[in-house]
Amino acid sequence: MAHNYRTDLTIDWCPGCGDFGILTSITQALGELNYGPKDAVVISGIGCSGKTPHYVNLAGAHTLHGRGIPFATGVKLANPRLKVLAIGGDGDLLSIGAGHFVAEGRRNTGLTIVLFDNEVYGLTKGQAAPTMPLGMQTKSLARPNVYNKVNPVSLAIAAGYSFVARGFSFDTKQLKEIIKRGLMNDGSSLIDVLQPCPTYNNINTMEFYRGKVYKLEDDKSWDPVITESTKDPLEKYKIAGIKALEWDEKIPTGIFIENRTIPSFPKRLNEYIPNYLTNPPAVQIVSDSKGYTIVDPAKTFADKIA
Amino acid sequence: MTKLDINVVIGGPQGGGIDTSANLMSRAFAFSGFDIFSTREFHSNIKGRHSYVHIRARNEKVQGLKYPPDILVALDPDTIFEHFEDIGKGTKIIYDSSFENSDLSQARMIMRDTAARIKATLDGKKLTNNVKGMLTYMESNGGLLLPIPFEQIVRNAVDDGVPNRYYNTLGAAITLSIIGIDAESTKEAIKHIFGNKEKVISPNLKVIDEAYKYASENKLCGKTLEMAASKTRFLLTGNDGAAIGKLMGGLRFQTYYPITPASDESSILEEHEAITWLKGEAETLGSGGVAVVQTEDEISAVVMAAGAAMTGARSATATSGPGFSLMAEGISFAGMDEIPLVITLYQRGGPSTGLPTRNGQSDLLFALNTGHGEFPRIVISSGDVNECIYDSVKALNYAQKYQLPVIHLIDKNLANTTEVVDGIDVKREKIYIREQPGDNGIYKRFALDSKNGVSKMGTFGNQTFWLTGDEHDELGHVTEDTVMREAQMDKRFRKVEVAAAEIPIEERAVVYGDKNAKITLVTWGSQKGPALEAIEELSKEGIKCRLLYLRMFMPFPSEFVAEVLKASSTNIIIESNMLAQAAQIIRMNTGIDMDHKILKYNGRHVTVDELVEAVKEVLKNKEKKLVLKNGA
Repeated sequence: MAHNYRTDLTIDWCPGCGDFGILTSITQALGELNYGPKDAVVISGIGCSGKTPHYVNLAGAHTLHGRGIPFATGVKLANPRLKVLAIGGDGDLLSIGAGHFVAEGRRNTGLTIVLFDNEVYGLTKGQAAPTMPLGMQTKSLARPNVYNKVNPVSLAIAAGYSFVARGFSFDTKQLKEIIKRGLMNDGSSLIDVLQPCPTYNNINTMEFYRGKVYKLEDDKSWDPVITESTKDPLEKYKIAGIKALEWDEKIPTGIFIENRTIPSFPKRLNEYIPNYLTNPPAVQIVSDSKGYTIVDPAKTFADKIA
Repeated sequence: MTKLDINVVIGGPQGGGIDTSANLMSRAFAFSGFDIFSTREFHSNIKGRHSYVHIRARNEKVQGLKYPPDILVALDPDTIFEHFEDIGKGTKIIYDSSFENSDLSQARMIMRDTAARIKATLDGKKLTNNVKGMLTYMESNGGLLLPIPFEQIVRNAVDDGVPNRYYNTLGAAITLSIIGIDAESTKEAIKHIFGNKEKVISPNLKVIDEAYKYASENKLCGKTLEMAASKTRFLLTGNDGAAIGKLMGGLRFQTYYPITPASDESSILEEHEAITWLKGEAETLGSGGVAVVQTEDEISAVVMAAGAAMTGARSATATSGPGFSLMAEGISFAGMDEIPLVITLYQRGGPSTGLPTRNGQSDLLFALNTGHGEFPRIVISSGDVNECIYDSVKALNYAQKYQLPVIHLIDKNLANTTEVVDGIDVKREKIYIREQPGDNGIYKRFALDSKNGVSKMGTFGNQTFWLTGDEHDELGHVTEDTVMREAQMDKRFRKVEVAAAEIPIEERAVVYGDKNAKITLVTWGSQKGPALEAIEELSKEGIKCRLLYLRMFMPFPSEFVAEVLKASSTNIIIESNMLAQAAQIIRMNTGIDMDHKILKYNGRHVTVDELVEAVKEVLKNKEKKLVLKNGA
């Protein structure tokens, strides 16, 4: 029998919330790739997006505000066999967790990061999030936003993510395909998902996005993939970088960059730690049949002998 | 074997090879069969400021340092100035004769406050503000001057444009020759240190020969000491001990963010990431190594280690005060979600950046209360290198057995103290292996049916369950139900009660010395060694006393401690902090107030002699509180 990817919990997101579409895309992607309970884990931070793991019928952790990425990294590095989804909101990943967001680009651990991007902090009643433009005033703000916005796609490219994409929560078909590609990427994938917050963001509504989004892949010559045989990878970055800045007239969705030449963090560790990939920390045997250590301290630390 | 008990302080500029000098001396003593104990003192600086190593060598067990040193070796003029208060009757001062005209005003790397105190001392005695003036002052305090022509000796040995690059070897070799360690042992030690770097070894050997020749010609050589048979002995710091213990205890995932004095432990683990397995069965089981991950900050370090722990890997992080502050929220999460996680906390002088390279024990109360909300934890503390090894195994075991964060306290003194360890016993501690839940899909991670509060822990990749920082039901889903909330809180805290009942008392508190003595010294952490020596010395002087040594602060061994303290007439706490934090914990748990407090918060180690004097003083003058001052 096919695995049921939804738990029986009542979902308490607001009616019309973009989160529903993202949840559907995630579970469909997992189902189509046939990742079962022993293959994948869903990790999140705090906020409305943070509730996602409870709604997915796979092991999950709803961690601390901003800390989904480091927790997920710990899971992945201790057991690289696992597919690890890291879910977070815009405040979660780009404000309180911004340091981790950048560090993860440098690591390329192999996480699939889904960024729930609605420009507001929903669960705390609508404060401006890092993706909200300067001067914008949603209905719950006392005065216009005094921060400038950060562009998650540009930031992810600059931080070195090997896979950077954008989806739209009301295009679950495209989003599902992007998440699948992200899950199959050996390194870390950042998927920025535009979504409305029907309760607190009265500007970036479903209609607002519907009128602006277009698909990069609709241009038949669009090819974001970089492999060892790609002649001019810099050119691909240049184009992706320019596309990432498009916003006011039209907003591109799809894959901006997929660089398969950047080794994943587990592969880098495997260069130095014997049998790391075949016998990672999660599965190592640490004691003998009598319950004593199997480590030889005198041989391992021979340099410490007087 | 010849009777020996000698204290040497060797100082020079940071980055000037002081570690090599100290290493050379320690190894030469260790080769010759002597026990050593050495501590490193340094500034938060890469090059130039004063750093020194205090080594004590003895023909029997040595557990602490003594002041004033028998020998002060100065590799630069600053060392003579910095140690102006450290000269006693008969202290030999070995220095380069060319230093004599160096002016205090040229010693720009001395901290201004220290320079002002040095100047005031010299001015008070109407002495010139240079090394010569200081040496005169030192002589008046009983110091014996041994000017050595450093440059000439090096030039006789090697043709090198930069002779002072050998001053560290020369200073150590002259000192060893004076003490009576033969040239062969000294040469063996240098070969060991430089391994196969032939180009470095050869000139250093020549310098050693020339140093011994000079000492012999000038009748400086001590009578050659009789050696003991050498055996396999380790020279280990507290950082080394913790790293070794962690690997033995099954640690396979460690995270860290660079910080003094904690990150040495992680670097040591990284250097030894490829593990060598014991012969026999172990060889067939062992594969892989330890993954050490440098993170972007300590928040990431603690959370990443928690994530790794949920896959079943034995996981830990190591940090010091500022990093530990950042970890607070993550530790609370580990407590809430019953994650087996070890945090090795290397204490240094606080608050804030405080004394980043100096000692302190001011994070004890914080370790007991880190993180918001109420959650169970175990807090242990080590007092010597041996304990660092086996306590690290225990910490991992406690974490696995009770599924909670374990905070392991080590102080900077201990982290940077080198001790001789005679072998490591691989059969001393068993490795606790958790019982696995069935392999049947969704299971209740936080099941309430266990009597001891410990529910079987599933792992990511095997069982389906959830974690959340919110209060949760048995599956791990968010709940705000009143009854479930109470039940989960009660479940979590049952584990601490069970741990308190199960963990043997000797792992929590130990009484040393005369069991019937009416004077009880109480201490924890790196004062253990000095306090043990102090009770011996005091007993020899007719002051019968014993030591209550504390090893576990949560769960606190309240009944045992109360019993010991009630049976004695005078209780004296010794701590390296200002507020006597352990004394506060004792009072909180037993209602008993300490009669006297001997405290030190200048960032330097507690020495045996100052402790002996302090105990005598508080007993005589009935002082409530006495502050120790030793150390440069």
